[in-house]
Amino acid sequence: MRAVELNNISFKYNEKAIIFKDASFFVDYGEVVLVSGHSGEGKSTLMSIISGIIPNVNYGEISGDVLIQGENIKDKKLNYVCRKVGIVLQNADSQIINKYVEDEIVFACENIAMPQDKMQKQINIVCNLLKLNPKDKTRSLSGGQKQKLITASTLAMGQKILILDEPLANLDKDGAKKLMDVLKSLAKSGYAIIIVEHRLDVVMPYVDRVYHVGNKNIELIDDKEKYLLSQIKKVEVNTNIVDTKELIFRLDNVGCKIKEKEILKNISFDIQKGSRVVLLGENGVGKTTLIRIISRLQKATEGKVSQYIDEKFDKKLYSKRQWFKKVGIVYQNPDYQLFMPTVRKEIAFGVKDNKEIDDILEMFNLKEFENTHPQSLSEGQKRRLTIAAVAGYKPDVLVLDEPTVGQDYKVLQEMVAILNRLHETTKNTMITITHDARCAKALCDRAIILKKNGEVFVGGPEDVDRYFGN
Amino acid sequence: MAFFKKKEHINPLMAMFVGVTILIVGLIFAKTYAASYFLSGAYVLLIGFGYYKSCIRILPAFIILSAIFFLAFYYGKNSLIAGVTMVNRLGAIFVGLIPGMNIEPICMTRSLNQLKVPRAITLGMLITISFMPLLREEIARIREAMKTRGAGNILNPKVFYRAFIIPFVIRLVNISDTLALSIETRGFSIESNNATTYKKETINVVDVTLLLLVIVGVVLLAVFK
Repeated sequence: MRAVELNNISFKYNEKAIIFKDASFFVDYGEVVLVSGHSGEGKSTLMSIISGIIPNVNYGEISGDVLIQGENIKDKKLNYVCRKVGIVLQNADSQIINKYVEDEIVFACENIAMPQDKMQKQINIVCNLLKLNPKDKTRSLSGGQKQKLITASTLAMGQKILILDEPLANLDKDGAKKLMDVLKSLAKSGYAIIIVEHRLDVVMPYVDRVYHVGNKNIELIDDKEKYLLSQIKKVEVNTNIVDTKELIFRLDNVGCKIKEKEILKNISFDIQKGSRVVLLGENGVGKTTLIRIISRLQKATEGKVSQYIDEKFDKKLYSKRQWFKKVGIVYQNPDYQLFMPTVRKEIAFGVKDNKEIDDILEMFNLKEFENTHPQSLSEGQKRRLTIAAVAGYKPDVLVLDEPTVGQDYKVLQEMVAILNRLHETTKNTMITITHDARCAKALCDRAIILKKNGEVFVGGPEDVDRYFGN
Repeated sequence: MAFFKKKEHINPLMAMFVGVTILIVGLIFAKTYAASYFLSGAYVLLIGFGYYKSCIRILPAFIILSAIFFLAFYYGKNSLIAGVTMVNRLGAIFVGLIPGMNIEPICMTRSLNQLKVPRAITLGMLITISFMPLLREEIARIREAMKTRGAGNILNPKVFYRAFIIPFVIRLVNISDTLALSIETRGFSIESNNATTYKKETINVVDVTLLLLVIVGVVLLAVFK
């Protein structure tokens, strides 16, 4: 008996949005299956069909057979299907409702009426597997740890079929490897694991079979090595490496404590003007805190950050508005920074000259969407627009927090090309946080690697390869 | 015996009952001097029963508001009891809130689950309470993002409103969509009410002692008012 079997599935949201036409798919127990493909081609729809979200929560017209453990789940309630198929969704942060890790883990177990003694066992097992402390407060966890927590909560329910939608999105290289080790060991013990993931470089060694979703079909890839290699090719490095002595920031023994918890300690390094800096390090090492301190969104509790953009910013009273025109910050989630009714107006918010607006639209490949509402763009387009809107101010420094997270290879290539073109045109200083091995080197003149013990390693592009273990 | 076993916190339902009793009794007898003794006694009692952090936390706000209302009513009505009444009313609210401030949402949810209150209600309550810190974080992030886009100036209300409201609504919709889907895929169903409880909330000797002492206080207040 197969874990999951889809026979001649057709699905459409409406007449214009036909996702699958006579597509078939199967997963056996004991294997890890990767579902790959470009954004918007139907990967999430496939996961929703298998997990019963379609047609119970999201509606559409579906035909064909969906068999879970040999049983057709047509007309079955989500509450029934979820006892057989566990699904780990994206955006862990929005899913946590309890104050403590153990309460969040048993939330699902309580719902399915698991006996109390078994719940305790499940907490111990999943915390041990995913290296979580059951007594930790959920709000104090890093993004990667929250992702692990939601995975743990689903794992604790004990289904033998698990679907994970981009489980590695917020994990560093070690965290991602450890999670994949856990998933592989679960598969070896009889689980069926289905993963939707763009970071194929990490997933590749663990995958038994690969499906490509696209063109209204789910295609089984015969030569998975060839397919995977075509998808994990690193973005070409074709920008001249900047090596200048002129500084834009100097950090002297910078430290940061939040509620007695030490986030950063004795961090010292320089950032050269016009360089592209990539900030690397494990989850929870303080990368985001560090760029928040550099960009003055947060104060350091120890040490000093000197800026050499303009002396006026050294005064006690300076214009924050002017500062953020010089130091542009692009958030990981574009939803926070987009608020105008059209793409054009979003850029025009910071740029008054029409020709300049047109140039920016061209540069960021957004011309065809100029009258579109920003919130109706795809995730990759929204990210481009956020960068375009911030770049409109012509900032001396552009700070980017995970600009490629959750993006497929095509979108990632496009994003890197745009960022490098922008850098060459404006000669800005670009500071990027990324866990993405495919693009880190292409965005790097200098690599700054933060370590858990507070050590900082400053190196060049070749150290990016070393960091990612290539 | 479980009744005498040490536990970390007062039973949530007992704490709620104690808080509501102090609030109602304090308000009913607010016009007496005896209510001041009752509320002071209840405050000391709560410190003794482990609520000292919340007792200290409410003190500055209580002192400031009490002073303002006492002076306003004392001089406004030229009567000491009018001032004391206002202080008692505020005291009843503040002291009555203390036990509730310490209830962990999950403990309250589990207590209500044990009483077979529908899970849709208890879970709704839990999510509403958990949503507050999340909402605060979201507002802080949006305010910060507004500054980075040069839209943080409150003197420009048109831009300020757009830059705050649009991301705020989008985030709320996204979060509630994801959350609703997440709890459903983690086994929650509005139709089913046979969930189990990981940690059962019990009533022990400490809970009963606290309740008895509050009742004694109420009786004394009624007698000596």
